[in-house]
Amino acid sequence: MTGFRAFLAGFVDRNGLPVAIYLGVAVTIWVFLLVALPQLAMLDFSFRHNLPPSKMGGPEDVYTLEQYRYFFLGSEIGPEGWNALDIGVLVKTLIAAVAVTLIDLAICYPVAYLLAQSARGAAGRLMVLALIVPFWVNEILRAFAFRILFGATGVLNELGMSAGLWSAPIDFVGEDVALYAGLSYAYILLMIFPLYNAIESLDRNQIEAARDMGASILQVHRKVVIPYAKPGIASGSTMVFMLTAGALAAPQILGGPSNLWFTQIVYQWFNDGGNWPRGSAYAIVLLAVCIGFVMLMMRVFRVSIGAIGR
Amino acid sequence: MTKDITLDYVSVQFGDYVAVDGAHLTIQGGEFFSFLGPSGCGKTTLLRCISGFQEPTSGQIRIGGKDMRGIGPNKRPTALIFQNLALFPLMSVADNIAFPLEVRGVDRRTRRKRADELLELIALPGQGDKKPSELSGGQRQRVAIARALAVEPDILLLDEPLSALDLKLRQHMRRELRAIQKQVGLTFIYITHDQGEALTMSDRVAVMSRGRIEQVGDARAVYDQPRTAFVASFVGENNALPGRVISREAGVSTLDLGLPAPLRVATGAGPGAKLAPGAECLAFVRPEALRPCAPDATNAIPATVAREEFEGAQRHLVLDAAGRELRMTLVNDDRSAAFGPGSAIHVGFAPDMACALPPGEMASA
Amino acid sequence: MTRGPAILLPFLYLALFFAYLFGPLIIMAITAFNSAGFPRVSPWECLTFGWFGKLAQDARLLEGIGNSLIIGVGVVLIAVPIGLAAALTLSQVGPRLRASLYTVFIAPILVPGVVIGLSTLIFWDRLGSALGAGYDTLFYDGIFLTIAGQVTFIAAYSMLVFLSRIQRFDPTLTEAALDMGATPTQAFVKVLLPFMAPAIGSAAVLAFLASMENYNTTVFTVVAESTFTTVLASKVRYGLDPSISAVAVIIVAGTLVAATVFEVAKRRQTRAASGLLALDRPALKLIAHPVFVAALLAALVGWVAWTGANHDSSVCEMRVLEDKRAVQERLEQERRERLRELAPAAPSQGGSQGGGAGGAFAPGSLAPGGAAPAAPGGAFAPGSLVPGGAAPASPGGAFAPGSLTPGGGAAKQPGGAFAPAGLAPSAGSD
Repeated sequence: MTGFRAFLAGFVDRNGLPVAIYLGVAVTIWVFLLVALPQLAMLDFSFRHNLPPSKMGGPEDVYTLEQYRYFFLGSEIGPEGWNALDIGVLVKTLIAAVAVTLIDLAICYPVAYLLAQSARGAAGRLMVLALIVPFWVNEILRAFAFRILFGATGVLNELGMSAGLWSAPIDFVGEDVALYAGLSYAYILLMIFPLYNAIESLDRNQIEAARDMGASILQVHRKVVIPYAKPGIASGSTMVFMLTAGALAAPQILGGPSNLWFTQIVYQWFNDGGNWPRGSAYAIVLLAVCIGFVMLMMRVFRVSIGAIGR
Repeated sequence: MTKDITLDYVSVQFGDYVAVDGAHLTIQGGEFFSFLGPSGCGKTTLLRCISGFQEPTSGQIRIGGKDMRGIGPNKRPTALIFQNLALFPLMSVADNIAFPLEVRGVDRRTRRKRADELLELIALPGQGDKKPSELSGGQRQRVAIARALAVEPDILLLDEPLSALDLKLRQHMRRELRAIQKQVGLTFIYITHDQGEALTMSDRVAVMSRGRIEQVGDARAVYDQPRTAFVASFVGENNALPGRVISREAGVSTLDLGLPAPLRVATGAGPGAKLAPGAECLAFVRPEALRPCAPDATNAIPATVAREEFEGAQRHLVLDAAGRELRMTLVNDDRSAAFGPGSAIHVGFAPDMACALPPGEMASA
Repeated sequence: MTRGPAILLPFLYLALFFAYLFGPLIIMAITAFNSAGFPRVSPWECLTFGWFGKLAQDARLLEGIGNSLIIGVGVVLIAVPIGLAAALTLSQVGPRLRASLYTVFIAPILVPGVVIGLSTLIFWDRLGSALGAGYDTLFYDGIFLTIAGQVTFIAAYSMLVFLSRIQRFDPTLTEAALDMGATPTQAFVKVLLPFMAPAIGSAAVLAFLASMENYNTTVFTVVAESTFTTVLASKVRYGLDPSISAVAVIIVAGTLVAATVFEVAKRRQTRAASGLLALDRPALKLIAHPVFVAALLAALVGWVAWTGANHDSSVCEMRVLEDKRAVQERLEQERRERLRELAPAAPSQGGSQGGGAGGAFAPGSLAPGGAAPAAPGGAFAPGSLVPGGAAPASPGGAFAPGSLTPGGGAAKQPGGAFAPAGLAPSAGSD
């Protein structure tokens, strides 16, 4: 406690009282009022029954595992009755998110490398600008563009059919091609910039030295560039994965009719189903599974969370 | 009005690391005082203690007799010139200089007037509207000094302010700093690892090593009568010869330095005078004190010239004397032309141009 | 010299990448100028600026944009100071505390937007009901909730902007200010804040854009209100119409103008810094000035808009309409003939099939049946009447909802004067 008081006194000393108060209040409002308490409220809500407002706080308003039980078992009770539909959607969402992350990594690494190591001055700035411009167009419009591209009467089908590559329209939307392409496109920037920042700070001499010592281009990347860019790779991958798994607009617009994304189930419980506690429980499940997965990957690849956002 | 600064057994510890160890001295008001030492010797920490950015772990700092404990840097009568100058890049030169007045609530016109006066003082009149980035290194230097003087401090603290300048400019700025100090009559406390700077500018120098003050004195005393092996080896070039005391008389001892003949070396009243016969010692002979001499002269040492390092005005000869390496510096004139590499010569020195000291830690090259 | 082609490889890759980046946007932009009722490039019907006009009259969209602007400003005003405070706090604490604080601060970026939206909604709802607040209070106000939800993670974005700037701050500047008698507050206001000013600008722009384009959080927190993105999303989900492309064109054009002005300003700055500015040639100086460039671009956009407003595509649209009707009639004719031929074998089966499929076609739905409007004649294989596959061929119904906005056709009746006598004036479906 004295340590904390000493820290506080030092903090005020260094910043002066007005600035210290501003820093303290701003950070407190953010961390508690905007981040922590809402998450706790949602966690609390996920352990409750779905009651009409009049019964809230009444005798029936008790804690329950009902919402989580529903996620795992569905409405039936019994060992056989796994809620295959919802669990399946969650697993599919995660797999798709991993796939999108890998696609983005594969697309972006060469681009980030080329931009960081060879583009300089005005040309470099222009290319960076060119990277950013498409992302000032909002997510929904980007998804819409892919719908125009991939729709049954879309540009791709028109082109393919007029070139005689295929004769009947291919259902890109139903086959999820549109969704994967759209999601990969949507978060490309979040992959490129961490990679770019990481690779840009790599001394070009290191690459030349490695080349000079007889390493092949592949070896240079494997032994020099990739290990150096690891924090950037981790940062970009984490962000793309989390945002893809949590995406809502793109699946709503580009997803096939029979194809659900887990966030859409959350959305349905909330808006169409009117069951907030269940929606909360599903959101908690999504959050827990995603964070768990990211932590596991960070452990496997030995990176710290401090790398994110750098 | 000038104020004395007293360091009363000041120590600073960071965890287990002792950065400053019992610094104890008084700096007179109006003095140009330097702390000289290699990097990591604690001189910057000591300066930060005086300016108020660092509280001593123990001991006391008094300025004009007043204890400075608990008084922040903005309330002390000191002004610090940072190593990187710390000019505010977004403000004009005049705004930089007037900043101390601005934060004291001085009105705009007075500020501008004072800034113009100070620009006059540092010989940059009419440059007040430029940005610091538009000035040359030397000009920026002077702006930093003007800014520090604007507070009218009693003491100006300078943290290696010349280290970023090139050699010519550095030498010019030495003279200029000294002139400004004389003109304004303030106490200057100067931190440097460059002995040339310390010796040319200072009234007194404190040589520091590993947090301890090794010796305090004027330039001549520090150079000619070093009191420790560290000072002897750090300030200027020196030949260090380990050996043993054979006998001692008043002010002069005879030493066995592993050379064919024993040598006579002055000890004066310094620490060397306490070395009894038989004690281990370190003798120091400056390269410029060594001269070619006749084989029967005092302290004549037979040697061969191993190689030469030519530096224009001076020639540095590296000699081999019975397996020991000796460095000798000669003025590049017609007399020295004879001693090329390979030639066998005798070199000697006057006893009071060398010194004998107890063994101790030496400065690494 | 075998390396020749290999050296071109990176450029090829970059070219492909940028094609992927811009292709969809360019195609979308083109569809905004095609008069076809469904956003597509081919078949090209008529050059029109009508979709922009339609946009300007869309009250729901305009209301959404208004709300988005209010929310955007609110988010900037709250998220930027919070982000700055967080970055400054991080820069002051020791390495261990720094690591854990950083984890806390960065978390909102990683939490899915859906979860943030949900939790914000629940928290304020719970708080409101605990305090006994009515439904007209802040706790249930869509604008307030959306600002709260968006600030949660946008503050983290701005924190990242500030952190990268603060890393380049020389702390001895603050020490120098303190040494010269400034109080910590003065040092903050006069030294640190001016240094952070450019970052405050970019954080504000970033926060505003992030707020404008957010959907995942907003769709939960906005409750009964609507924003630009939620209106857009419902438009996209429930009906495809090139006026959405027109929105994109406006945004892309705005972006390009802003980017050009920014680039010109930046170049000017670097050139001024290196003393290369052509001060001796006033004409060149004027042309290179960012304000001049901005004015030039504004004039260009204005000219395009004016031309667009005065462009009359009704003649062309009428002709396209006629062509379609002709095709329809021909198809109808062929169908009848075929039915007559087949009548003895399979009475009325094909007819009911075709009719059914056409009627089931909902506007904008991309179910397989929706393929119909794409290839009025192409997919139709005369003679084959496989029930499912032939469905798209059912011509009459397929054209009804999407492609021929009845109002639009009627409004442009002046062009009807040119219509051949055989056509009924009503442009509706048969």
